[in-house]
Amino acid sequence: MIFIKSIYNEVIKIALKPRSYLGIAAITVLVGVILFALKSDGMSIISFVTSSFEQTLSFEGNVLNGNLVAFIILQMLIVQIPLLIALVTGDLVSGEAAMGTIRMLLTQPISRTQLLLSKFIAGGIYTLIVIVWLGFMSVIMGKLLFGSGDLMVLNSDGLVILQEADVNWRYLGGFLVAFLALFTVSSLSICLSCFTDNSIGPIVTTMSIILLFTIIGTLDVHVFDSVRPFLLTTHMASWRSFFEDPLPIQDIKNSILILVIHNVLLISISIYVFNKKDITA
Amino acid sequence: MSEKIIEIKSIAKKFGLFEAVKDVSFHVNQGDVYGFLGPNGAGKSTTIRCMLSLIKPDSGTIKIFGKSIFTDRNEILSRTGSIIEKPDFYKYLSAYKNLEIFSRLSRVSVGKKEIYKMLDFVGLGGREQDKFSSFSHGMKQRLGIAQTLLHNPDLIVLDEPTTGLDPQGIIDIRNLILRLKNEQHKTVILSSHNLAEIEIICNRMVIINKGVSVVEGDVKALMNNEDLVVRLEVSDKDKSKALIMSQYPNIQITDINETSIELPMEKSKISELNKDLVNAGIGIFSIEAKRKLEDYFIKMVNA
Repeated sequence: MIFIKSIYNEVIKIALKPRSYLGIAAITVLVGVILFALKSDGMSIISFVTSSFEQTLSFEGNVLNGNLVAFIILQMLIVQIPLLIALVTGDLVSGEAAMGTIRMLLTQPISRTQLLLSKFIAGGIYTLIVIVWLGFMSVIMGKLLFGSGDLMVLNSDGLVILQEADVNWRYLGGFLVAFLALFTVSSLSICLSCFTDNSIGPIVTTMSIILLFTIIGTLDVHVFDSVRPFLLTTHMASWRSFFEDPLPIQDIKNSILILVIHNVLLISISIYVFNKKDITA
Repeated sequence: MSEKIIEIKSIAKKFGLFEAVKDVSFHVNQGDVYGFLGPNGAGKSTTIRCMLSLIKPDSGTIKIFGKSIFTDRNEILSRTGSIIEKPDFYKYLSAYKNLEIFSRLSRVSVGKKEIYKMLDFVGLGGREQDKFSSFSHGMKQRLGIAQTLLHNPDLIVLDEPTTGLDPQGIIDIRNLILRLKNEQHKTVILSSHNLAEIEIICNRMVIINKGVSVVEGDVKALMNNEDLVVRLEVSDKDKSKALIMSQYPNIQITDINETSIELPMEKSKISELNKDLVNAGIGIFSIEAKRKLEDYFIKMVNA
């Protein structure tokens, strides 16, 4: 019961902290700008992409539809979302230490493990809200403004065209995997937050790690070949797998497994460190 | 004999090579207002943090309500209220919301009515919805006291609760502690730099210095074990000194100024000395018995 109350407390604290709305506001503005740009000059962007196929294929119907718009938005924004998540979750433990409220919290009759887990869950709920908002702004707003239609996706293997009726479940799956990836970012930042009393440090460190892993993942250097499959950032992009045909089920399962392992490890390390920590702040 | 609420035996804590606490032992009885004294860096805060499980000691035992803080932490903390150093709350939340958040973790059902009543009790009535960031230092301390008392704890730990308060605020907190003791029979641990405050409020105390508990016991008994320092302002200083030396040959008399001297003396002998001086025709302008906790504290700390 006290655990549920603690989760509720953590959610309330996030909800009443002005910083928490930066993520929602940023998504609203960014998606708004992209929607405006695509609405005003979207066809020229599409023509640029499709021009190389026009000698062999003819495109008919509403190519620039809500499904494509949502896909473009997700591809553009999924890199920025971890920053918005870390901005809130990186502060969940170290922010309490910086404010001094950690002393008050840890003299309450709730175990440190329960308190920390409630922060992980609250961080997960915040991540879910951000993802749902991103989904609403991209998929729902995209379809409202641009209508629906078949989704045309340009992959490394070539052009994939997905039937309109075949798209919604792919978005659902894609968002679920994206949520798991972002929850891992949240876990990483909370874990880093357990090591310090500085509220900015974990946020900056989380972003630095993501940046570093992204660079390692992008660099075509053999020395990184063995680590690349295990990097968090490699699997942050696996939402895109849902838009391949046929669906690479094994790759998706593999990504989910690696992300889950990341979460288990990060949460375990956090619990160990937080329980051992002397509160001197 | 009173029930022991807190029993601390030989706790020690190192931070790297620095020994913050070397060997601290003391006990607090039910209903005590227990003074926790020591100079800066003596290990008071570390000891209090160990008691409340914020810091894990390297060795020693801590029993509160007869149970170990290491194994029955939640049960002990559910019966304890505390302010450690200064009360820090969520700046972006109101006084009411802050108390609501902490009350949810207290294992006691605390409703809106109780929170409002408690805020009123500590003098924050009418400011319930104001944000913590807008509060003065005194108001923050009052909110800290409200949080401490909200779940009606049996043990209250107050670490420097009057720091930064104005004189009226200090008197209010002092009266509040006395009310908690006298009306609600709470056990209170009071860590303070204000030694006069300890002398006025506490019935028992421990002095900690350099990580070691130097002395522990009843405040009045500890005070009475020591001679008072008596300052006399007299009409004839030399005659007074000669008279005193004739009656107390080994006494050490200190000249203060042209009319004043100081000497150590038992409390019971002061009236006799007064009578002897008057009988010798020496005019006495003032007699001041200076024995205070400050002197005792300094003596113990420098020992």
